[in-house]
Amino acid sequence: MSIFIDTSTRVLIQGITGKEGSYWTKHMQEMGTKIVAGVTPGKEGQTVEDIPVYHSVKRAAAAHSVDASMLFVPPRFTRDAVFEALDAGIKKIVTVADGIPVHDAVEIRRAALMEKAIVVGGNTSGVISPGKAMMGFFPYWIERVYNPGRIGIMTRSGSLTNEVTSMVVAAGFGVSTLIGVGGDPVPGVRFAEMLPFYQADPETDAVVIIGELGGTMEEEVAAAIADGSFTKPLVAFLGGRTAPEGKKMGHAGAIVSGGTGSVKDKIAALEKAGARVAERPRLVGSLLREVFPATV
Amino acid sequence: MKLFECQAKEVFAAAGIPVPDSRQARTAEEASAAAAEIGFPCVLKSQLLQGGRGKAGLIKVVQTEEEAAAAAAGLFSRPEGVRILLVEKAVEIEKELYLSITIDPVESRGMIIACAEGGVEIETLAKEKPQALIREKFDLSRGLEAFRARSVVYDMGLTGDTAKQTVKILSALYQVFSRYDAELAEINPLFITKDGNVVAGDAKLSIDDNASFRQKEYQLTREYFSSDAEYEAALDGIPYLQFHGDIGLMCAGAGLTTTVYDLINYEGGTVANYLEFGGPNYRRAVRAMELCLKNPSKVILVVTFGTIARADVMAEGIVEAIGKLHPDRPIVTCIRGTNEDRAVEILEAAGLKPIFDTEEAVREAVSIAKGGAA
Repeated sequence: MSIFIDTSTRVLIQGITGKEGSYWTKHMQEMGTKIVAGVTPGKEGQTVEDIPVYHSVKRAAAAHSVDASMLFVPPRFTRDAVFEALDAGIKKIVTVADGIPVHDAVEIRRAALMEKAIVVGGNTSGVISPGKAMMGFFPYWIERVYNPGRIGIMTRSGSLTNEVTSMVVAAGFGVSTLIGVGGDPVPGVRFAEMLPFYQADPETDAVVIIGELGGTMEEEVAAAIADGSFTKPLVAFLGGRTAPEGKKMGHAGAIVSGGTGSVKDKIAALEKAGARVAERPRLVGSLLREVFPATV
Repeated sequence: MKLFECQAKEVFAAAGIPVPDSRQARTAEEASAAAAEIGFPCVLKSQLLQGGRGKAGLIKVVQTEEEAAAAAAGLFSRPEGVRILLVEKAVEIEKELYLSITIDPVESRGMIIACAEGGVEIETLAKEKPQALIREKFDLSRGLEAFRARSVVYDMGLTGDTAKQTVKILSALYQVFSRYDAELAEINPLFITKDGNVVAGDAKLSIDDNASFRQKEYQLTREYFSSDAEYEAALDGIPYLQFHGDIGLMCAGAGLTTTVYDLINYEGGTVANYLEFGGPNYRRAVRAMELCLKNPSKVILVVTFGTIARADVMAEGIVEAIGKLHPDRPIVTCIRGTNEDRAVEILEAAGLKPIFDTEEAVREAVSIAKGGAA
């Protein structure tokens, strides 16, 4: 069992007939993801990689049992697509769209909270349990990054995730489940909300978070460690330590919440709670090695 | 995008929020004429996006036409690059309040922040006197309900006609927040005048760039930027920041670019510009390098680790850019990700020495910037 998805999770693809949707459907299948149906309005009756396509999520969910939905839907239509999945009772949703209006994102997250569902994204590569399944687009074929193992990873970033994860793997570790919560100011799900799953996961020994300036997600992680609800070792890497004040550096998520969220404050909160904070990507591997000297 | 005060006030006024009588001026002559029309005393306000304009001397109160002309000339010659002055009727102030609407990303609701003490940095107030701030959340799907607007205003300690006026203003501010996909709609200070009227002293409106497909009223112009390169990059949708150091960054991904920026600082180097050509821009290396070359940097550092932004495509782009633009400075490359082996071949065939480790590439760039061999 891995977190969020594993080989038995039955996945629906919204936007399956699009260029991105069909390309990554093939790769998700190739990696082991169980894809049961697709949705593109107006294209019922077609197939993509032998997967049947339906007009609506409701019609797809009536014909197949669906556990999770993966959205390859443009940002301006994402709110409606998420609502459609929630309306069909789907509780796990991943949206990779980059450019969701923030007011839409607020409504998406609120609806997910009301429905007790998890929406991962947008502006993310998604979720991957290397060697098992993925919902999103990861270069899982790059073994020096997406090597299976026992380290859970959560990230706000894309390219930086490849950079940091390659250092985790270079230090002799691998990845249990990687969740990209995304770089938007209002992500559907926040770091701290996924921690209980890593805490309960027998396949995860420690968690790495890849954060950056802005917002309060890293502080919320520190609070979960401080109050004893998360007890596994946690290593953080945060981009933007030397970012000058007032400049819009990093993701949009690093911008909006002005006034709070300096990396200095985040590091202080995490270290006070007992997490280790790496100054450079390379040191994430070294710090994990200090925690697990015997692991090979 | 953040609107200038004069634009935000137009929006606020159209929504029914009272603002002082004002004119815009682009020359000292226009400013003194506008002042004469409005009457004295009046206020000349530099239209810049930075905060703290009062403290920085970018706002002047004038009593006569001559004073207006002189003050305007002074403001237009400021190094900040003032292009527009808002010439505004001065109001007699009884009290200053604070009112804004923004987003709470944790609860995922709209959030009103209100305070009976305005006119100061709200961040300072939040630190020193947090109990003075009212934070009221509401669901965007329901909108700001009338009862909630009233409740906030009464909690601010307002009564009578002042309270009624402020409720109207808060409701109008919500209409603006919703209609314009605002990240922030703020009135600070909100004046209660000596004759009992409630008037917006300042206006801030920040429109979500992701909503630009349905917010077409305000377009980016050169006036919003402090350099040509920043303006051109913004028009092209390429994230770009101007600094004044030695190393031009041409990286992919916000998080990775920010991290490379940190690593350069750790190694004692300085950054000339921050530029991202990842995501939707990964095929636009030529344009990205063109922007980088507008800066007097000593070396350009390319660091990528892309998935969809394929390494081989980016490497080809870099080689093409070098062929077309003939850069007058060394290029250090560290291109990884999908098809990275092919990327190395492409770079080597073009005579570059690809580096595979971010820190090593950063050290190489810093060494070149400090006068080491390329």
